[in-house]
Amino acid sequence: MQSRQKQSVNFSTVFVLGILLVLLIPLLLRGKSLAIPNSFQQLNTIFLSILIEAIPFVLIGVLIAGFIQIFITEEHIRACIPKNKFLAVLMSCVVGAAFPACECGIVPIVRRLIGKGVPLYAGVGFLLTGPLINPIVILSTYMAFGNDMEMALLRMGVGFVAALAIALVISILFKSNQLKKSKGSHHLDARVNKKQPFITRVNDMLKHSIDEFFDMSKYLIAGAFVAAFLQTYVSTQSLLLFGDNQVQSTIVMMALAFVLSLCSEADAFIGASFRNVFPTTSILAFLIYGPMIDLKNTIMLLSVFKAKFVFVLFLLITIIVFIFVNLASFI
Amino acid sequence: MRFHFQHFLKAILLGLFTLFFTNLHITGDITKYINPKYDFMSKIAAVFFLVLFLIQLSRIWQKKHIHHVCSHGCSHDHGNDYWSLKRVVGYSIVAFPIITGFTLSPATLDSSIAANKGFLLSQGSNEEKVDSSDKDSLMEDAESLVEKENIDIYSSEHIPLPNNNYLSEEEYNDKFRLLQESETIQMTDDMFSSYYGEINENPQPYVGKTIKMSGFVFKEDGFTNNQLVISRFLITHCIADASIIGFLAEFQGAETIEEDTWIEIEGVIDIGTYGGYELPIIKVTSLNVVDEPSEPYIYPVLTLLE
Repeated sequence: MQSRQKQSVNFSTVFVLGILLVLLIPLLLRGKSLAIPNSFQQLNTIFLSILIEAIPFVLIGVLIAGFIQIFITEEHIRACIPKNKFLAVLMSCVVGAAFPACECGIVPIVRRLIGKGVPLYAGVGFLLTGPLINPIVILSTYMAFGNDMEMALLRMGVGFVAALAIALVISILFKSNQLKKSKGSHHLDARVNKKQPFITRVNDMLKHSIDEFFDMSKYLIAGAFVAAFLQTYVSTQSLLLFGDNQVQSTIVMMALAFVLSLCSEADAFIGASFRNVFPTTSILAFLIYGPMIDLKNTIMLLSVFKAKFVFVLFLLITIIVFIFVNLASFI
Repeated sequence: MRFHFQHFLKAILLGLFTLFFTNLHITGDITKYINPKYDFMSKIAAVFFLVLFLIQLSRIWQKKHIHHVCSHGCSHDHGNDYWSLKRVVGYSIVAFPIITGFTLSPATLDSSIAANKGFLLSQGSNEEKVDSSDKDSLMEDAESLVEKENIDIYSSEHIPLPNNNYLSEEEYNDKFRLLQESETIQMTDDMFSSYYGEINENPQPYVGKTIKMSGFVFKEDGFTNNQLVISRFLITHCIADASIIGFLAEFQGAETIEEDTWIEIEGVIDIGTYGGYELPIIKVTSLNVVDEPSEPYIYPVLTLLE
């Protein structure tokens, strides 16, 4: 105990000094030209812009997660989810499709839902369709492809079927909830708290959201940094050298979707800019794969789920999306 | 009562996030990171951070053994009392963007990013006309009608527009018509991407017209001495999704102009080939070096927030 306290004092000192330093640096450097390489400033700008874009959605995500933790009981969930696996997966995909979320904001929500007893496969269905299918994404896809509904419809349709398939395979492969650090027993906070006044519960919900934010944001920040790093130092054209038959270009576009980690609301315009280079199938793969899994949300998933599960999920999404978009090209 | 250092730290970080987001809006730097059309979300974020900050303040001083709302089946980290290397790393990561956000001013994307994004390889193809052939032929018909018979058929509102707009539809129609009717094309910021898209996809009717535009200089490997691209970054949502658009320009002495220089040019549109693709080329007649504009980026005309 003694040593722990001592340690904490040391860390405290370091942190206070660190923060003071941070606040002083701008004052010290004001007016002077920074000796920081231009490429790092470019990287930093891209990094911050990803964060500024994503953080509002993460905040909404953690608030919803806090709400679920405090207000929703396991009984509510048990009453909602169908017993039949297929129906449960179908329902979760439909709920996800109706739920406007982005791929980073949805991670804390899914974790809280699974923690509350939602079966893993239903959580996965929700995780996959939430960012992929929602009104904003459909509208931006429609516009990005020259007010052509075909691409938006394909994106929704093929994406939905692929999400169903992935969640069903997950339901066969995994029986437990695959959460990290799961303590097995889930105490019913919502039921315990029911006696407390509403205002206390809202207060508790917000405190939960704060802890959840600090928990999630570090992974988001790390992911955003890696994505920005790759954008700054790796040329997109180096990807284009791989070849131009449909299989190769589909793999290239999926790799690109993974690495760029774009928000699903904005990726349609980027996808559309490749129309002249790649066939529709590859672009469809880009549009479906990116919202389901990308660099920054993989890092977030790794913080929530066991690494083995995340790896299997990653493989499944990759293989199934690849197969489905190629099948769709025969329609 | 007892002082909880980690809760204190979280409060500081939340406070700094609040300041960071508020500051972005006060200084206007937000436009250097995201398309201002979407800045509403980041305003909401500032408000959320403020609320969370105020809530967090109440946790700094707490009774020693406080009943915690989820002391059991909770998988996340409530971080109160003990320290580990993992925590230090965690807090450092969260502090990192605040540090760089306050100390480094936002940079304008430059030609090094443009080179990574790729310019002419992914764009400028004139062979793909299948998708837009209807529109093209309509535009061509319209063009020739206007030229030959001087009839203003655009007022009939039958021309399909390539997109919707946060200019009102009427304003947009007017501006788009300007592109087709006037002899001098002015590439203004608001219409840049629409004009660019139209001229690039369908350059024929615009050959011989005068064009005025400004942008930064970007060069690709394989350019001849008299070639450069006069380009702008198009921001859909945030800087990370920027794509580069611009016209290939040709004039004697282009090699003397450094990349990333902002220039204002006047020239005549022509059609040439680059890398096997047909594309519009500007034959520059006059050129000025200018300062980087306060709003270096352009935004697509279409919007989701109708």
